[in-house]
Amino acid sequence: MSTPARRRLMRDLKVDPPDGVSASPLTDNVMIWNAIIIGPADTPFEDGTFRLSINFDEQYPNKPPQVKFLSTMFHPNVYASGELCLDILQNRWSPTFDVASILTSVQSLLNDPNISSPANVEAANLYKDHTSQYAKRVRETVEKSWADDLMDNEDDDEMEE
Amino acid sequence: MLVDILEWNGVATWSWDVPSEEVCGICRVSFDATCSNCKIPGDQCPLVVGECTHRFHMHCIVKWLEIETSKNLCPMCRRSFKAVHGEKQLGGSQVLSYIESFNFEG
Repeated sequence: MSTPARRRLMRDLKVDPPDGVSASPLTDNVMIWNAIIIGPADTPFEDGTFRLSINFDEQYPNKPPQVKFLSTMFHPNVYASGELCLDILQNRWSPTFDVASILTSVQSLLNDPNISSPANVEAANLYKDHTSQYAKRVRETVEKSWADDLMDNEDDDEMEE
Repeated sequence: MLVDILEWNGVATWSWDVPSEEVCGICRVSFDATCSNCKIPGDQCPLVVGECTHRFHMHCIVKWLEIETSKNLCPMCRRSFKAVHGEKQLGGSQVLSYIESFNFEG
């Protein structure tokens, strides 16, 4: 069924995401998108393949979608659940945002955390005072993100059989 | 030859005075098409211009302003959204009542 939210998402589909980001809706449900953000170069996140889910409801674009990391993250603004604390996804949301602009913001959040309201206090403290330890913990999640990809590929193989 | 005109039909077209490639920032549809709630373009799905010069389909901006979290802000520049209508300037809940005053039955 076509609704305003679905029609808008079909238009979002035509906007190319920024470099290092890819996103697509589920084949049978345009309200749920999966995305991958590649960790930006020259940051501890470099080359990570971080997976996210984006869940829209019928109020989109007047209400923001729920954005959640599926990959394990070590970042001051990402909760253990994968949910993230990002102003434009909460009180600074605007209906002019789209999938591409959401993912651009999440991508830039990776290396530009907001320390004043941490979702992960340990990550925030290491980021502030122990940069090399912070980088090490982040690198662990980068390597883990590659393993997630391998698991996905195995799933695909099973489906083909 | 003398011709008696018994009947004639005048036909005219119009479009919004905005660049044709410009789309509504909320629904991403051209102003000469409808917002994502309407089916037929034209008078019943007009656009609204804000004092800040940003424009939207009326139905799109109203839906946004009706939501409490919008805080009556323009989605583009976050200034308080005040619609400009001819000489009249309306703001906040006035936009809504102005829009409700539209007679959609024509």
